[in-house]
Amino acid sequence: MAHEPQGNRRTEVAKRITDELARCDIKLVASLPDNWIHAVIEELNGDKRFTHVPVNREESAIGLCSGAYMAGMGSAALMGASGFMTCIYAITKINYSYEIPLLVIITLRGAPGDHHKHHVSNGLYLQPVLQAIDLPFMIVDRAEDIPLIGRAYHHSRTFTRPTVIALTRDLLR
Amino acid sequence: MRYVDCFRHLASRRTDQWVITSAGNSGQAWWAATRDAERTFYLDASMSLSTMFASGLAMALPQQRFWAFMGDGAFCMNPGMLMVERQLNLPNVVHFLVSNRAYGATSNAALPNGPTNDYPAIARGMGLDRVFAFDSVEALSRGLDSAVMANSPGHTFVVLEVEPFDAGEQRLEQPPFDGPEMKYLFGRALERATGTKVFDYQLPR
Repeated sequence: MAHEPQGNRRTEVAKRITDELARCDIKLVASLPDNWIHAVIEELNGDKRFTHVPVNREESAIGLCSGAYMAGMGSAALMGASGFMTCIYAITKINYSYEIPLLVIITLRGAPGDHHKHHVSNGLYLQPVLQAIDLPFMIVDRAEDIPLIGRAYHHSRTFTRPTVIALTRDLLR
Repeated sequence: MRYVDCFRHLASRRTDQWVITSAGNSGQAWWAATRDAERTFYLDASMSLSTMFASGLAMALPQQRFWAFMGDGAFCMNPGMLMVERQLNLPNVVHFLVSNRAYGATSNAALPNGPTNDYPAIARGMGLDRVFAFDSVEALSRGLDSAVMANSPGHTFVVLEVEPFDAGEQRLEQPPFDGPEMKYLFGRALERATGTKVFDYQLPR
């Protein structure tokens, strides 16, 4: 895979991510964009296995996916790291108070290799914030680790708490 | 119109709708009007997300009907939700915007631009067609059927202009459920009524 043109590789990774979501019987994905996950969002848009809902802000994805869970529909919220940082209220209020499972897939912005200086806050505080609210997260850095998405989804349902998957630049570029 | 009178009237007209209330006074008023402990999810812990929550339910269960209440305090925090609601255009969700022109749950603190906000115009500006507004129980009584009738073609937005809670109403009982209890009461009721499997752990029949 390392020798494939970058665009093909991105598409292949995106396809593997959506295949993993489908294996979890996830039907609904609510998203806000981040350049790193553009290919994943494009893949979702053309994939009839999912209803993909672009939302106005990340908290809306939390509300939408939590409601879907309460009606038996598997779902995931997909967003960038900065958007995730705006969701702490919604996650701790809805998903912690009512113990509603939720899979949130984010970008690991601000980590070494991110060329965008304005993500310094995510580099400094994203993982400490996750740890501070005891939100389990797994980092997916290689295509071989994409099945961790399924493990995180099922872990969320077993423990009736949210879980986070953080996708790295090395995986998505 | 008085907040609780409005909710008592809605409760009297309700048939099979599942209800989601918002943070603040709407949960208190709906609990006072109905004492419903199963077909209502009192989503107290959510500012501005009750209609998104209802939309998730409604997407998964298109044969069921959902009413979602939201105060205008919550609405002002996330009016862009209407873009998502319009995009989804779910015919089985009614968004009731309870407009008391105040942050009702916080002692009626002032709402930014409170007296001026034109909620129906905001909704129309987002492309919603089915927009209704009622400012009296009489008007609500006359217009409710056309506003929330079955088989409506798309998403419905209803503005209810109410008076803020007075001091006595502020002391109305809060819905007496903790979070997990609320989840299971509502989810199990939904499972029984629809045959849907909500929870991974099923009760013996």
